[in-house]
Amino acid sequence: MRTSSFGYLVKEGARSLWVNRLMSAAAIGVLVACMILVGSAALFALNVSNIVSYFEDENEIVAFVADDITTQEELDALSLQLHTIENTADIVFVSNEEALQQQIEEYGEYGWLLEEYQGEENMLPHAYRIKVKDISLLEDTAQQIEALSGIQEVRIPTDVAHTLLSIRRIVSMCGVVVVAILLVVSLIIIANTIKITVFNRHREISIMKYVGATDGFIKLPFVVEGLLLGLISALLAYLVVWAGYLYVMDWASTVNSQWLQELYRYFVPFEAVYRELLIGFCAMGVGIGSIGSMIFVGKYLKV
Amino acid sequence: MIEFSNVTKRYDNGTRALENVSMTIERGEFVFIVGSSGAGKSTLIKLMLREEKPTSGIIHVNGFNLNKIKRRQIPKFRRTLGVVFQDFRLIPNMTAFDNVAFALRVTNVSLRDIRRRVPYVLGLVGLASKARTVPEKLSGGEQQRVALARALVNNPDLIIADEPTGNIDPELSYEIVELLHEINKKGTTIVMVTHEHELVSQFNHRVITIENGTVVSDVPPREDEEDGGYRL
Ligand SMILES: Nc1ncnc2c1ncn2[C@@H]1O[C@H](COP(=O)(O)OP(=O)(O)OP(=O)(O)O)[C@@H](O)[C@H]1O
Ligand SMILES: [Mg+2]
Repeated sequence: MRTSSFGYLVKEGARSLWVNRLMSAAAIGVLVACMILVGSAALFALNVSNIVSYFEDENEIVAFVADDITTQEELDALSLQLHTIENTADIVFVSNEEALQQQIEEYGEYGWLLEEYQGEENMLPHAYRIKVKDISLLEDTAQQIEALSGIQEVRIPTDVAHTLLSIRRIVSMCGVVVVAILLVVSLIIIANTIKITVFNRHREISIMKYVGATDGFIKLPFVVEGLLLGLISALLAYLVVWAGYLYVMDWASTVNSQWLQELYRYFVPFEAVYRELLIGFCAMGVGIGSIGSMIFVGKYLKV
Repeated sequence: MIEFSNVTKRYDNGTRALENVSMTIERGEFVFIVGSSGAGKSTLIKLMLREEKPTSGIIHVNGFNLNKIKRRQIPKFRRTLGVVFQDFRLIPNMTAFDNVAFALRVTNVSLRDIRRRVPYVLGLVGLASKARTVPEKLSGGEQQRVALARALVNNPDLIIADEPTGNIDPELSYEIVELLHEINKKGTTIVMVTHEHELVSQFNHRVITIENGTVVSDVPPREDEEDGGYRL
């Protein structure tokens, strides 16, 4: 394509935005609102996921070693077996001595009661604290561990795992629904804008057809217009989300609530996501704008 | 150049606009198409431009078989001809220059060629001095001459005009047809629809008459006069 034609196409797209500025403003308004909602949903999901993954890290399987395993060689072999299980991440060995020591500390001033069980009298089993990579496979992994002959019992935090998993599932499901609805709304807005522009420019379009402009050439200014609409909306929405996020973070850091302060430590700072967010917004705007107009310009133009 | 073989056009609503029309227009001819309102003249033009498809029959224009032409080829076909309409179809907020240049811009012609071709055709229609004027400041005749310049700018072999003088004062109408006549003398084929018999009789060209969707007469130019000449 010649540069003069390219210039023409961009100029036409931009001109059309300006000529129909009232309608363009309305379309941008709705698109910005949609994108703010999508962006907020994404940031919310990101934070929930961050918090959930923190709690996931705290989750571990405790596997108690069978009493008949006593020598260091046997323990090493068992440890090796645990490492070969697919989903295991960190594996920490807790000897019965350490376990007893922990319990004595937990008992505090009554700890001395347990002191006589130290050494030969220690009835506690050795144990492994095992973190998993994928929390949704927690139960399978626990079963595999329990099946090992050197393991007598396994304890897993099933309830917590289930809760975390369902939080994550609900958040991502809501996210998908919100995004889908807003995507449809955005496309309708683009379709409507393009429809009105096609109507406003029907004279030029019919002349273009008579003088032998190609379909692509006739359609391109509309695609440029849609793309500009999407891009402008994306940048505006980004600024609003940015300001809004900083405001919420600021508020969360000062508010007087124990649990919020606790959670605040796991909030994702804006600096950590600003680039991805900007790229995401622009991609969404350009995508919705250009694809939307591409779909609908053919429908209304009938070139 | 243009060939219709047994062409029938029925619109979707059942109207029979053309019925079994056959005709041939050779390269370099000037043909008037006349007939009363609703006779089917504009339908004939739309078929020539491939704006409509025939219900049956075969149409060839400028070497393209319009029955078989692919959508992708239509722009290429349209660039081989120029069209002029009764209502001028100029873009209101563009100057005469830009209206003519528009036809080149949207067909990917270089800026250098635009700067060369546009003033030339504006000169050809006698509007060199009005290049920077917008349509609403031009008379009907001048507006139609801008439209004619636009039709000419691609250097087409064929000009198709549907009632180009319909919205113009009679004296100015004559000028438009005379302009078409001059263009025809340089070798461009002209097909012009009109129902102004007065105007037709002032020129010595072939006249095809259509009534009720059929060709009722096809009169060649008079032999005794210079080909393409006209009487006053
Ligand atoms: N798009 C259409 N759909 C249905 N019927 C149509 C359509 N266009 C034209 N017609 C009908 O076809 C017939 C021929 O119309 P056409 O426009 O070809 O006549 P015309 O000779 O150009 O008339 P005029 O001198 O008034 O311009 C008319 O009866 C008209 O009502
Ligand atoms: Mg007509």
